[in-house]
Amino acid sequence: MLTYITRRVLASLLILLGASFIVYMLVAYSGDPLAEIKSSNSPSKEARIAQRTEALHLDVPPALRYFIWLGGAVKCVVPFVGQCDLGVTLQNQPVTVALSTAIPTTLQLVTTAAVLAITIGISIGIVTALRQYSTLDYGVTFVTFLFFSLPIFWVAVLLKEFGAIKFNTFLYDPYIKNSTILLISLVMGLLWAVLLSGSWKRRGITFVSAFAVTAGVLYFLSVTRWFSEPSLGIVVILVTGVAIAFGSTVLFAGLRNRRALYSSLIMVGLGGVAYYALQPLWDRATLWLVIGLGILAIVAGWLVGRFMGGYDHQQSSRAAMLTSFGVSGLVLLDQFMKNWSRYASDPHIRQRPIATIGAETPGLNGDFWLTGIDKYTHLVLPTIALILISLASYTRYSRASMLEVMGQDYVRTGRAKGLSERVVVTRHAFRNALIPLATIVAIDIGALIGGAVITESVFSFKGMGVLFLNGVRDHSPNPVMGVFLVTGITAVVFNLIADLAYSALDPRVRVKA
Amino acid sequence: MKIRRLSAGVAVIAAGALVLTACSNEPSDNASASPSASSSGAASTTGGTVTVSETNEFFSFNPSTANGNTDINSKISLATNSHLYYIDDQLKVQHDDSFAKTEKLSDDPLTVKYTINEGKKWSDGEPIDANDLVLAWAVFSGYYDDAKTDDSGEVVSGASYFSYAGSTLGLGLTDFPEIGDDGRSITLKYSKPFSDWEVALDLDRPAHVVAKNAGLADAAALTDLLKNTPRGNPDKPAKNDALKKVADFYNTGFDSKTLPSDPELYLSSGPYIVSDVQEGQSVTLVPNKTYDGDQTPKLDSIVMRTIADPSAAITALKNGEVDVVSPQANADTLAALEGVPGVQVHQGLQLAFDHIDLNSTGVFKDKNVREAFLKTIPRQAILDAIITPLDPKATVLNSVLFVPAQPGYAKTIETNGFKDFVEPDIAGAKELLGGKTPTVKLLYNINNPNRVDAYTLIAKSAKEAGFKIVDEGDVDWGSRLGDGSYDASIFGWINSGVGVSGVPQIYGTGQSSNFNKMSDKAADAQMSELIQTIDPAAQEDLQVQIEQKIGATFTTLPFFQSVGVDAVADRVKGIDTYNPNQNGVWWNTWEWTVDDAS
Repeated sequence: MLTYITRRVLASLLILLGASFIVYMLVAYSGDPLAEIKSSNSPSKEARIAQRTEALHLDVPPALRYFIWLGGAVKCVVPFVGQCDLGVTLQNQPVTVALSTAIPTTLQLVTTAAVLAITIGISIGIVTALRQYSTLDYGVTFVTFLFFSLPIFWVAVLLKEFGAIKFNTFLYDPYIKNSTILLISLVMGLLWAVLLSGSWKRRGITFVSAFAVTAGVLYFLSVTRWFSEPSLGIVVILVTGVAIAFGSTVLFAGLRNRRALYSSLIMVGLGGVAYYALQPLWDRATLWLVIGLGILAIVAGWLVGRFMGGYDHQQSSRAAMLTSFGVSGLVLLDQFMKNWSRYASDPHIRQRPIATIGAETPGLNGDFWLTGIDKYTHLVLPTIALILISLASYTRYSRASMLEVMGQDYVRTGRAKGLSERVVVTRHAFRNALIPLATIVAIDIGALIGGAVITESVFSFKGMGVLFLNGVRDHSPNPVMGVFLVTGITAVVFNLIADLAYSALDPRVRVKA
Repeated sequence: MKIRRLSAGVAVIAAGALVLTACSNEPSDNASASPSASSSGAASTTGGTVTVSETNEFFSFNPSTANGNTDINSKISLATNSHLYYIDDQLKVQHDDSFAKTEKLSDDPLTVKYTINEGKKWSDGEPIDANDLVLAWAVFSGYYDDAKTDDSGEVVSGASYFSYAGSTLGLGLTDFPEIGDDGRSITLKYSKPFSDWEVALDLDRPAHVVAKNAGLADAAALTDLLKNTPRGNPDKPAKNDALKKVADFYNTGFDSKTLPSDPELYLSSGPYIVSDVQEGQSVTLVPNKTYDGDQTPKLDSIVMRTIADPSAAITALKNGEVDVVSPQANADTLAALEGVPGVQVHQGLQLAFDHIDLNSTGVFKDKNVREAFLKTIPRQAILDAIITPLDPKATVLNSVLFVPAQPGYAKTIETNGFKDFVEPDIAGAKELLGGKTPTVKLLYNINNPNRVDAYTLIAKSAKEAGFKIVDEGDVDWGSRLGDGSYDASIFGWINSGVGVSGVPQIYGTGQSSNFNKMSDKAADAQMSELIQTIDPAAQEDLQVQIEQKIGATFTTLPFFQSVGVDAVADRVKGIDTYNPNQNGVWWNTWEWTVDDAS
């Protein structure tokens, strides 16, 4: 095992070295970083040329300049040698400093999108696999491929126009027209009818009830001007919580396991108590307090499941933990919603909350709630854009993988020995279907660090993608190499992790030195 | 099992629907009861915020250095400093009498006195006085430089101390200034008259901060050091470590992409002061509490946001996230701006203009060939293809030294001969060529659609007269300028709008930006006279004469002025016209207000 890892790391180092040389040469020969100064009539032309030549070692031929860069870069990898030196950008800023602000920005942008795309994509993939060749399957395939083939800058423009500009204008007077309500309700009714397949009679009932519920809810939201002053309130939290409790029990234990159901319901009750108990704390909320409370909620769920006892107390714990997590999420969401109108009326926002550019509103000095909402209003559009584009691949991979597993002999054996379909799917099929996905996800994460170049430019995020792009545009190798180093190393590391994870997950695969 | 699936489905529907439901039993004033709401409520009663979208990233509080001299650094500096002069949107030099007095004491020898009004202070409370002006003078004059450089620009002996972005030509003619009025004034005596004396000196970075960071006791110690150091002599370079330390700090110490932890590095002497910098994203300005001049700030804050993508900037304007955008003008951006409701679009002519340069060597050594080539250029067609769609009233530009807005333009076009080349004269060109078919290598920026259009039209027309055109369209056109690998080049210049000392740099024999190596002895003499002429009317006459000589060499031909545009949300008042110079909308930040202080 150790020999294997050592060998892999050494091979990767050589590849990185070779690739870095090629990338450096490509950028260095792509153009002259002095061109912009040379063509100007600035009186200090000579001084600027001399200064840039010295800062970027332009008097040294590129092949040798690479080794100057390498000499500095090696110090980053080898410990105790000295300061990390990746050269400077055209503005005389050390690349290490530029990276230290670009990496967090990129992570902030892509993490949520990646997590959501993976979760949603895999869920859709599994569901479509279980309903192979149904209307749902075809519908989802069509939609995901449609999004997959849309260019992201165009999606971004549409999102900005409808998700931000039109939506913000709607928020001035959040009244929904009856015709709009009718249309949305029709679509929702059809959607649910397709989603819950079955006999025509059942589909009809689904359609009518979904239509009625949506129309009712939308009408209520419209007349109460809910969008200007949104909130959930204890009743919605409790009712939704009970629904989550049932859902998670079905997922983890089956409704016949009453202990699991009761543990989940207890968590909903506790969530209701916490809703009132925590109110005085919210004014002084910080990020760490909220994370701490979230962990506390999960631990509480585990404990409740444990105390409910029984031979399968783990199932109860899991159901209770998921429920508890969901309910605390609702309580938090409710609190954010209550701060919404305060955010929207801030002089920096001026009643136009959804943003089209940047990661935050400059100059907005708010507490945890305001800055949290500010992050949300800035991230929501780019995140949606990124999710829409990357949904298709996850859906297709997980669908294929699930279909393959469902056709395996052990699944048939499981069914033959009388296991319920729920157990067959969640216990036997689902877990094994995830194994090949581990590789894809690990490699995707490596690629994500490199930044979403187009998304970053369109939404004006100053992340890795923009750093890379500016470097290429200015013919300046240093920032490009900085981005290359970070992405290259992450790609190598995550590939290794993927291979090791594969062997850990699938006993048939063994790492041999 | 069927029943359970149905019930699970119902549970999911219920969950999905109820998340959206509004059981808002909560009292709605709950939110405003929290403590931080009151502070934002108080802020809303004052001047409001204006957000300006800019293309470039801010990275230095010192735009006077060669490295820091970019448009956006200058704009931020403009709003956060008091100035000995500033340039308004009509390209007139203006003085802020509430800050300082500029007096020309005599014409011969040219003597100028700058007096800072009593009681002026930096934002840390230190006085603004002669020490600050002496530091600015030391930087802008290049007085102490004793470096010798070889042909490649490498320093072979001595040292260049302060890295100054502007020309040291003018203040280089002065000796160490005389300090007076209790240390509030300096008087400069020029050894020769200098044309641009009015825009030669400005208040720069605080001397006490530079002194402290260079290891000196105070601003007076810095002035003493400068006073006791003689003028740099490249033939006898003297090592001066103390001055070197001062210069090193001045050159790089104010560069920062974020808000420095030391507030002395971003002191303000003007109406606004920087309060926050988000690297590569935004700079926030708030009123400077110690400012007591006439340019009183009226806003709560000005936010500069960097948005590189012009369409993203226009969308942000539409969404109310930014109030002012100044995108590059082309058919797309103009159409997009037309579609934004509630904004005022200002369109104008920029100081930048496109032109063609003919080398006076190689195939163009013969003046008749140059003239023949210029005769083939369809300038009206180029204008119609590139500028007319943006500005139907635009006309062909007929001067390289004046823009039509300046008074000298009408006079110079009568004599410089450029107006004879509006429509192509193929027959005349053929006659001049006398049957020859010269091959012309034409260089232009292949990434700029305007230059590609101009090239295509020129190439087509020149071929009719018998020229053979070689397409030298190149991404790297900038570094090829002046290297002799082409015969003609299409590119742009930016007219400074104010001052004349930039003229010899482009048209003087052997000067650094004279890429086509044009040379006219009589013009050279007049250009050196020009930069020593103080009287504006005399300057204009000289420029007209110089341009006549430039025109007679047939080495250059202007095409058109670029169109500039900015768009301002209706709620913002105080930005009324398009400002053609590089400061854009930022020249009068103190006059900005917002209408809806809510």
